[in-house]
Amino acid sequence: MEALKLERVVKQYGDKTAVNGISLGVERGEIYGLLGANGAGKTTTMRMVLGLIYPDEGSIRYNGKPFSSELQAIMGYLPEERGLYPKVKVSEQINYLARLRGMSASDADKSLRYWLDRFDVPDYYNKKIEELSKGNQQKMGFIAAVVHKPQILILDEAFSGLDPVNVELLKDTVRELRDQGTSILFSTHRMEHVEELCRHITILDRSNTVVQGDLREIKQGYPREEVLLRTPGEVTGLDAILGVTAVERQERGYLVRITEIGAAQRILKAALEQGEVEHFEIKEPTLNQIFIRAVGESHE
Amino acid sequence: MNKMGTIIGFTFKNKARTKSFLITTLIMVVLLSIGMNIPYFIKVFKGEDGNGAQSSAVHIAVIAENGSAAAQLLQAYAKQPGVDATVTPYPAADDAGLKQALSDGKVDGYLTFTEQSGAGLGSVVFHMADDSAKAKSFLQSALQQVNAQLIAGDRLTPQQIAAMNAPVPLGTEKITADGEAAQDKSHPLINYVIVYILLILFFMSIMMTGNMIAAEVTSEKSSRIMEILITSASPLAQMFGKVIGIFLVGLLQIAIIAAAIAANLMLPHNSGVLKDFNLDLGQLSVSLLLYGIVLYILGYFMFALMYAAVGSIVSRTEDLGQAAMPVMMLGFVNFYVPLFSISTPNTLLIKVTSFIPFTSPLSMLLRIGVGDVAAWEIILSLLLLLVTIFGLGWLAAKIYRTGVLMYGKRPSIKELRKAMKAYKI
Repeated sequence: MEALKLERVVKQYGDKTAVNGISLGVERGEIYGLLGANGAGKTTTMRMVLGLIYPDEGSIRYNGKPFSSELQAIMGYLPEERGLYPKVKVSEQINYLARLRGMSASDADKSLRYWLDRFDVPDYYNKKIEELSKGNQQKMGFIAAVVHKPQILILDEAFSGLDPVNVELLKDTVRELRDQGTSILFSTHRMEHVEELCRHITILDRSNTVVQGDLREIKQGYPREEVLLRTPGEVTGLDAILGVTAVERQERGYLVRITEIGAAQRILKAALEQGEVEHFEIKEPTLNQIFIRAVGESHE
Repeated sequence: MNKMGTIIGFTFKNKARTKSFLITTLIMVVLLSIGMNIPYFIKVFKGEDGNGAQSSAVHIAVIAENGSAAAQLLQAYAKQPGVDATVTPYPAADDAGLKQALSDGKVDGYLTFTEQSGAGLGSVVFHMADDSAKAKSFLQSALQQVNAQLIAGDRLTPQQIAAMNAPVPLGTEKITADGEAAQDKSHPLINYVIVYILLILFFMSIMMTGNMIAAEVTSEKSSRIMEILITSASPLAQMFGKVIGIFLVGLLQIAIIAAAIAANLMLPHNSGVLKDFNLDLGQLSVSLLLYGIVLYILGYFMFALMYAAVGSIVSRTEDLGQAAMPVMMLGFVNFYVPLFSISTPNTLLIKVTSFIPFTSPLSMLLRIGVGDVAAWEIILSLLLLLVTIFGLGWLAAKIYRTGVLMYGKRPSIKELRKAMKAYKI
């Protein structure tokens, strides 16, 4: 049974449809990517999952059961515009939030100390949020979302505004939580994070689902359109080959755009005829490209 | 319920520790203490703190040139028991001894009489170094008697003259409509003082805590912690948790202020002041204080709920003042109508406002304290207030539930109504 299952969920604000019939399922121990441009309906979907707003149509099930307030104890949420009380000590407010989610005071404190150690900042325990840098405030926000060991974790733009070191740290943490069996619904604009973390994705565009499914299958479903070629010498006449639309000269080779997969072999042949080939790759479409195509196409 | 307890505890702990709360409470305690000790301070600064008996007495020099009879009578008057004054005769105004006494401050000034014409004193001039109200008031009554004695001559004894000048005690008795002479039903003065203090204290407390609630809700919204909070506990629990938590903060403040008032009253040097003002703490009405507490609690919840609702629809703290204006206006009406009617507590205006729920807490307090009010009126007013609070509680919860997730510009009433339909509480 899926930990979280949405079926044809619709939400309307007045005459505007914010989410139009989204269906998705998140397994235990899975990170599910929810992508979309700004205003596509990601936050509305997440808020419905959290029980903040009720769907107009469709159903949301948690381990097969409908929403109830007891679920608040097993859900964690890191909102996109994250906030904590600026003038309250880290320990006080995170313990408070954990207690609101049903933890005992001593368990909450133990868990908070574990997480501060995990992030290597045990001295923040007695600091006020306003004394911390923005990135560290965000880490505290992340701790607030996971301190009560949620089974369903909802991360809205979890890594935005963090430096690369901290992004890696949080990514490792998210993976660790996944391996412990947490179901994570994850939204971001950074496609490389999704490629690294998510098994299944949904791309929303202006309240509609435009792409959905297993990330690998989606990628295979898209035509391969780029060939990377590296040679020690120069290769001429590439743009004359049938099926080649553009050739981009790069520092150590060429990036060739093709319309069909057969053209790749012709490029390799032409290159070998002219000399040695160091590297030849038919590139998989990146999620970024898929996203831009899926969202961009419908915008035209 | 458990969550609500957590919210109440967190709110109370955080608010009671804020600098603004500590400072305002401290300032109020200091101001009250100063205010209550002002009569004493005045005494001290005027050098009349009791141990300088010499300085508190009046010392008058008289120039006996033109009024030796008057001067003698004045001297005799000053020697009477209970009169704290000395009268020293000098032969002339330019006498060296007088000048010495004046420059040493041993006399407050000297009196000169004009030529006596007819029976009484002619005009008298008091030449004084510093303006002394005490010397003047002494002279006023002393010269009155001297004048009477001069006119009466030997025909009346001094005792008779003193009896003539003694004030006549005037008793009052009120006549009721049926002509029966009932005992005076007017309220003891202490009630006016208590009502006055309670009006100010409750108004300040309700306005301060109300603003605290609105500011707290708005800041949770603007800092976006609200999104985490409402996924952790129901908005209803949060709103009431906050309202109750800050209610406890308000109670704490009132308790501190009440303790400060009590402590000041207990100070030994202030016991005389109360007596001077004819205040008897023994007359303090316990039922008035109890009604006061009940009305304060109800009034607090009414305003707190309104403030919570207002706070929830505003996204930024800067916009709060404007949005809270209508609630604040109600608060002012609630306060100023009874405040200005404290000497006329039985007007139609007060009768009306004591039943309108938004103004009834303080108006009813005034009527109970110093006006005429029947038991059924109090009960009806309290019932109306309770019903209103439940209604407001429901409405505020709905607005709160809707408002806390609405960002951007302040929603219009129409938008709010539309959005409210979308949520269950």
